[in-house]
Amino acid sequence: MALNKNSNAYTIIYTIVMVVIVGALLATLATLLKPAQEENVLNEQKESIMKAFGAEGESFDKVVAGVIKNGNEFHEVDDVKPLFELISNRKALAELYKDYAAADDELPIFMYEREVEEKGHKYQETLYVVPIVGKGLWGDIWGYVALKRSAGNLEVVGITMDHAGETPGLGAEIATDKVQDKFVGKLVFAGKLVYGGDNKIALKMQKGVSASDAEKMPSTVDAISGGTKTCDGVNSMIENSLEAYVDFFANPKFVEKKK
Amino acid sequence: MKLSKNFTNPLAANNPIIVQILGICSALAVTVKMEPALVMGLSVTFVAAFSNLIMSLLRNGVPSRIRIIVQLVVIASLVIVVDQFLKAYMYDVSKQLSVYVGLIITNCIVMGRVEAYALGNKPWDSFVDGVANGLGYAFILVLVAFFREFFGSGQLFGMQVLGDWYTPNSLMLFPPMALIIVGCIIWVHRSFNKDLQEK
Repeated sequence: MALNKNSNAYTIIYTIVMVVIVGALLATLATLLKPAQEENVLNEQKESIMKAFGAEGESFDKVVAGVIKNGNEFHEVDDVKPLFELISNRKALAELYKDYAAADDELPIFMYEREVEEKGHKYQETLYVVPIVGKGLWGDIWGYVALKRSAGNLEVVGITMDHAGETPGLGAEIATDKVQDKFVGKLVFAGKLVYGGDNKIALKMQKGVSASDAEKMPSTVDAISGGTKTCDGVNSMIENSLEAYVDFFANPKFVEKKK
Repeated sequence: MKLSKNFTNPLAANNPIIVQILGICSALAVTVKMEPALVMGLSVTFVAAFSNLIMSLLRNGVPSRIRIIVQLVVIASLVIVVDQFLKAYMYDVSKQLSVYVGLIITNCIVMGRVEAYALGNKPWDSFVDGVANGLGYAFILVLVAFFREFFGSGQLFGMQVLGDWYTPNSLMLFPPMALIIVGCIIWVHRSFNKDLQEK
């Protein structure tokens, strides 16, 4: 019996068989590769936290992961997986920052102690990393910012940023060291950080500021020319994300801290 | 003899980008730096080769009314395979290419070769044709990326080649410059291949 390849029955059966086969193959492949992909994502998050701390390549074990409850209480957590799940779910994290209410929300935070030597005097310094999330020109932008408390203000120790689809060579430059290094040493707040006070976040990227001028301005970072929209996104990302943490940095309380 | 001509033809004399003017869109988008351009070229080579092979194997069974849909399903599946593998084993590169891997589906070269060649030729010939067209595409991509990265940021493969004295010409980083460079390549190519010149 000759098969009529142009009949409706043949066409429909062909389509169904094809879709089932292709669907099954792709589903199998996705399932097989998923562990490797998740591992990559988790490692990348840990690496970018260590990079923000300025301890690139060092083990993540020394980092204490925790959540902030009731606005300014630090609670240590043992299992970091749920934290990273929340951070990876950028939409949920952005919502959390947007509708942050100190009463029942928990903010992810990472703490890292390092020894510094200044004028022959050694002391322990505590650094904090908080995840930041926002929107660039084409899609999501996100990252981590490492901070330390210094003289009634917050100083940026390091920042890492990444993006979903900013323009290569322009907005995408936010993911490069060249841009991120400019944030180091900048101060987050315009004035002194006061618990319960009106703490204005001043840290921002600004266009038309020469690199040498930006050095003199404590909270201004030279923006990327040609990447203005992405830099605007970075500014609102920093402002919206850090706002939720202001109370903690103004008056940190450590609850059930083991060490 | 036929096979070797089949292979060399798309590399120069019948190059998909500079002669057939296909796949221009991605040639503009991913050629700011050389590394993504190279990976993009190889990914397209893989997809073009295997979509040609699979469609050539299926060519006698595909109902002609839905052949474009079948081609799209095959190409899209292969692109997903590439994307998943890059995410699992070449995570850094996959991040650099971001959305452009998914956009291989829309690359006219892949579907153009399936439609024009694979549906009427034997599997092995079609496979070679796909590889050659992919490589012809990759070659132009890398060439354009060379000029753009070199003059646009003074780098090659992300390494600084030109010193501090060079002020990067950020105009090179904009897509229109890629179009102008492609135009220059076509000009040079046609001045050597007189038969391509239009009277």
